[in-house]
Amino acid sequence: MFDPLQIALKVSASGLEAQSKRLRVVAENLANAQSTATTPGGDPYTRKVVTFESEVDEAAGASMVKIGGVERYQSPFRLEYSPGHPAADASGYVKLPNVDMMTEVADMHEANRSYEANIQVIKQAREMIAMTIDLLRSN
Amino acid sequence: MFDPISATSQVGAASSAADGQGVTLRGASLAAPGDAAPDFGAFLAQLASNTADTLKAGEATALAGVRGQASTQQVVDAVMSAEQTLQSAIAIRDKVVTAFLELSRMSI
Repeated sequence: MFDPLQIALKVSASGLEAQSKRLRVVAENLANAQSTATTPGGDPYTRKVVTFESEVDEAAGASMVKIGGVERYQSPFRLEYSPGHPAADASGYVKLPNVDMMTEVADMHEANRSYEANIQVIKQAREMIAMTIDLLRSN
Repeated sequence: MFDPISATSQVGAASSAADGQGVTLRGASLAAPGDAAPDFGAFLAQLASNTADTLKAGEATALAGVRGQASTQQVVDAVMSAEQTLQSAIAIRDKVVTAFLELSRMSI
């Protein structure tokens, strides 16, 4: 692949894919914000975070972005005193997921902004390609 | 010589200068023997088949998207590149046909 505009399209497409995976993880976190353990005293759902990695595409010779991995976020669980809860431990405390709604929403907005930016690059590249092809038509 | 139009004009010049052989578009190799110049028909055929391949890839990805096996981005990407290939193929064909007509209207 030689056309830099086509490569730009490909790179932006990889950005779109990475951001959609990130949004998927945010959705999992938000949906599981109240998921407790199934056994008394067990660990609840753990917040997941994505890491981004740069990856050189051999065919295009350009740096794509990809999701490096989906990791468990290391932070303490919230404790709630609720002795009757099925997941409560011996002293009556239930461990709740370490998901913070505000953080997730901020993460979601960042994914959205990044997605928009990549879309803009695609639009621009397409416009430039179309303009160049139009050179053939205008006479 | 890659460009068939320029090749054609060379053929015309070569044949009119020398032995008066018919000015044929297929004779592009006359101008530059050993140079693998595609002739007009082969050029159009290749253009059409390349375009058809890209369109087929676009259709296949769109179908995979409907079946839920491809992401929205992949479908849009494939369809966009199919559209782009089609647009450029049409533009190039129009240009080439115009040049061909121009050539055929040339007073001999």
